[in-house]
Amino acid sequence: MLMSNPLVPMIELRNVYQSFRLESGRNLKVLDNVNLSLFENEVLVLLGPSGSGKSTCLRLMAGLLNPTHGKVYSHNEPIEEVNDDVSLVFQSFALLPWLNVADNVALGLKPLGLAQDEVEQRVKKAIDLVGLEGFEEAYPKELSGGMKQRVGFARALVMERPILCLDEPFSALDVLTAETLRKEILNLWLTRKTAIKSIVLITHNIAEAVSMGSRILVMGSNPGQIRYTIRNELPYPRDEKTASVKSLVEIIRDVLTESIIPDAPEWVPPALQGTGFEAPPNVNMTEVVGFLEVVMEDGGRADAFTLAHKLTKDSLNILLMAKAAELLDFVDTPKNQIVLTDLGRAFVKADVNQRKRMIHEGLMQLKLTQQFYQRLSNSEGGAMGREEAIQTIHEWLPNENPEDVFDTLIQWGRYGELFGYNDDNKEVYIDRGEG
Amino acid sequence: MISTSVKRPNFRNFHFVDLIVVGLLTFLIYGSVVTAQRWSGELQPEFTIDLSFSALPLYGIYSLFRASLAYLLSLLFSLVFGYLAARHKRAEQIILPFIDIGQSIPVIGFLPGLVLGLMSLFTEHNLGLELACILMIFTGQVWNLTFSFYSSMKGVPKSFHEMSDNVSLSWWQKFILVELPFSASGLAWNSLMSMAGGWFFLTICEAFTLGGKQYRLPGLGSYMAVAIEQGNIQAMFGGFVAVIVLILGMDFVVWRPIIAWTRRFRLDEAPEDYQEIPFMQLLLQESNIVRWVEQLFRIIWAPTFHGPRKKRKQSLTFRMYQPIREKVQSIEWLDHFQVFGRLFSLTALVLVLWGSSKIFNFLEGISASEAILITKSTLLTLLRVIACLIVSTLWTVPFGLWVGLSPARTRFFQPIIQLGASFPAPMLYPLVLMALHFLGIGLGVGSGVLMLLGVQWYVLFNVLAGATMISRELRETFLLVGLSKTDTWKNLYIPSILPNLVTGLVTAAGGAWNASIVAEYLHYKNEVQSTMGLGALISEATARGNYSLLAGSLLAMVIVVVGVNRLVWHRVYDWVDRRFRFER
Repeated sequence: MLMSNPLVPMIELRNVYQSFRLESGRNLKVLDNVNLSLFENEVLVLLGPSGSGKSTCLRLMAGLLNPTHGKVYSHNEPIEEVNDDVSLVFQSFALLPWLNVADNVALGLKPLGLAQDEVEQRVKKAIDLVGLEGFEEAYPKELSGGMKQRVGFARALVMERPILCLDEPFSALDVLTAETLRKEILNLWLTRKTAIKSIVLITHNIAEAVSMGSRILVMGSNPGQIRYTIRNELPYPRDEKTASVKSLVEIIRDVLTESIIPDAPEWVPPALQGTGFEAPPNVNMTEVVGFLEVVMEDGGRADAFTLAHKLTKDSLNILLMAKAAELLDFVDTPKNQIVLTDLGRAFVKADVNQRKRMIHEGLMQLKLTQQFYQRLSNSEGGAMGREEAIQTIHEWLPNENPEDVFDTLIQWGRYGELFGYNDDNKEVYIDRGEG
Repeated sequence: MISTSVKRPNFRNFHFVDLIVVGLLTFLIYGSVVTAQRWSGELQPEFTIDLSFSALPLYGIYSLFRASLAYLLSLLFSLVFGYLAARHKRAEQIILPFIDIGQSIPVIGFLPGLVLGLMSLFTEHNLGLELACILMIFTGQVWNLTFSFYSSMKGVPKSFHEMSDNVSLSWWQKFILVELPFSASGLAWNSLMSMAGGWFFLTICEAFTLGGKQYRLPGLGSYMAVAIEQGNIQAMFGGFVAVIVLILGMDFVVWRPIIAWTRRFRLDEAPEDYQEIPFMQLLLQESNIVRWVEQLFRIIWAPTFHGPRKKRKQSLTFRMYQPIREKVQSIEWLDHFQVFGRLFSLTALVLVLWGSSKIFNFLEGISASEAILITKSTLLTLLRVIACLIVSTLWTVPFGLWVGLSPARTRFFQPIIQLGASFPAPMLYPLVLMALHFLGIGLGVGSGVLMLLGVQWYVLFNVLAGATMISRELRETFLLVGLSKTDTWKNLYIPSILPNLVTGLVTAAGGAWNASIVAEYLHYKNEVQSTMGLGALISEATARGNYSLLAGSLLAMVIVVVGVNRLVWHRVYDWVDRRFRFER
């Protein structure tokens, strides 16, 4: 490899668009004009809700995927095939059950055709680095999740590649194990004990992003795009309790909140103004109801992140619930606060049947549900096939995954007894309340 | 509040699909009438087959009804015995080996007993012969269905049992509401396989020689058999098309909708292995008649389950003594069961001993030279079976992986493979035989090819299923590490599909032994072509009525198949499963 120039990005995505074909044959845009660069000596974090195309970005960087439009460069050279600067660690570990730990790690060296003793030496070194000594002969099924992921890291380290890509590697682990492993990986990078020059980390955990990232890209969804870039120059190791870390977490929370439940409606140039339909966030209505009750317990005012902590939920999930509640006018969200409206208070106090009625009315105020209801009443027998319904949604909300929106719509509609769905014949129908 | 979306039947706007439903119903009624006529008709052991194309529809109906009745019988048998085996330890100990042995006996092994027995019962009508034929088809269908139901029943999670006890469902309610739905998907899949298994031996079941006497029933199987015997290519082609039409029709009208419907009962998210046909969906949704029947069904069915459960009136004293009473009752019940269980085992033992002594009586009639013949034949057929498995593995592994690793290719090839698997290979034998003749290959090797033709699908099916399950992350890792194609195949693809491959090979091996009776002994152009082998020996003994030789060679086959299953396959499977199965 050439002596690399630290000012030239190790990987660069230029004007990348990506779309996938859904099972129904429609195209779904998952990345919209993404530009990003990875430089030497940084931990680049891609932070965002599901559907924001984080994983797609990572696969583009690794050369496992070709962009639909745009190009991916490695040291200013377009990537044609797999990017061999990259090693990858997965959330699901991806270990071969029939190989023991040492052989799973040695897999990373296979194509190099090294001599046996060199292979053994490098495998031993990688296993030592992740603290798996003594487990060389064990098979994956004998190991706990944390130990399995260590094998995943060892397999990545043994390749001695400059870029370590991490696809939510800590999210399948319990909190304590994840914390320990995070610190160890960060240390390996900080102490330059390995070949790793830079790390790319995908996560939806804000604390994880702040504790590890030197640059944090906040991504938005539908279609996926980079919303904000936040530089994080706090010294390592970062203690969660220090004021500076706390305030950065706050800032990112605000940014995320703003991108999910904006204070002011986004200004969209008239030419680009769509149909005025707003997509329902993909959350369960039952959960939204529970969420409202908790806000009420907290005096009718709370912020998403305290709530997330309290409910041991993902904060992005809480924000989506807040968005759902806001669509129904049950809460306001001024300055990242979630405040119950009068309607919201009345809702929490109401009994089950009154609640259903209130949700019913709330849904009838929403343009999407309203129009959908209209369509249904106009069609024969007040019913419509699933395919047709999805096609309609696709026309109204071209950037959303229409199947997801459909599922949410059905779930909400059932809750509010607005419409029902029969999976036997795949038909949505107007709920006329006959029983 | 329960709201149903079942649209009310509306006879004013009769949908065009109703016409199709009426057509299907008419067909069903017509078929029943024709079948009933045939059954009550005067005994006609050797039906004269008309080889003109116009005779095909009626023969098709005869065969379809036989296979369907045999299938219904198989289903009933499976539900009863699968249930017993899964719920009672003692029954399990008897039924499982019974299935194992039954599976290893080729259809023809049941022929003499069934035909002679039933024909002596019904001497005047065709009923006896028809029943014998149906029961023979039944023996080709029933085993895997029973086994599937048994293992699904065994797989019902503990929490479901606890739930059923908790809401105190009666055994019948539990069966209908929990156990049957839980097994539905497996039953539907295996029903499809069973039907294919039934078609496989149709030519033999409908046209056979027993003790020097020819028997022939009207149907597609004997049509094919006669066409083959006379070497009438045109008729063979006609029969061939008729069978394909029948299989595709059944697939279209019956199996696909059923399999799609049972998918809802799966606890896991199963990959869409069988594509639903939009047309049938339309038929079920739009037809007024279907809706009407549905409503009728609801009305009849509802009180059984949805009505208020009758609560036993219990007096205070009854409730007070309830704990003690339960204790006492449970002990008594246990005693009864133990007595019953012992009686059951004893009866079974007596039956087994009696059966064995009968077989030994037969075996006494075997001469030394015949014993040597049986041994030699067994070894020869064993060689063919092994060769069959090797060749199947060699081509299906690369092909199955090539298809299964790409969703687009899987979508394209799966229906074709499914059709190939359900087509009864023996009907193609004469054509293959001609090709082999042309290439100068004799039946000694050729019969192996014929066996292969029928059983390779089992291996392909399983390899394909395994290939579609290979994890995307692992494939990405191999790409990223830069492992070569050879390394990826050797270290990822092949080990990943090993458990599936072994399952496929076990099924294929059993199928190959069974198929040997048609592959090693064929009628073609008014002459018998045969080669040395256990299958040929069994067929020949049946045709000649040499029952001691038949018993001997059947016993040899059962011993080899069951023995190899127990001693080899079980171990291989356990090892592969332990080592190569991904955790779920």
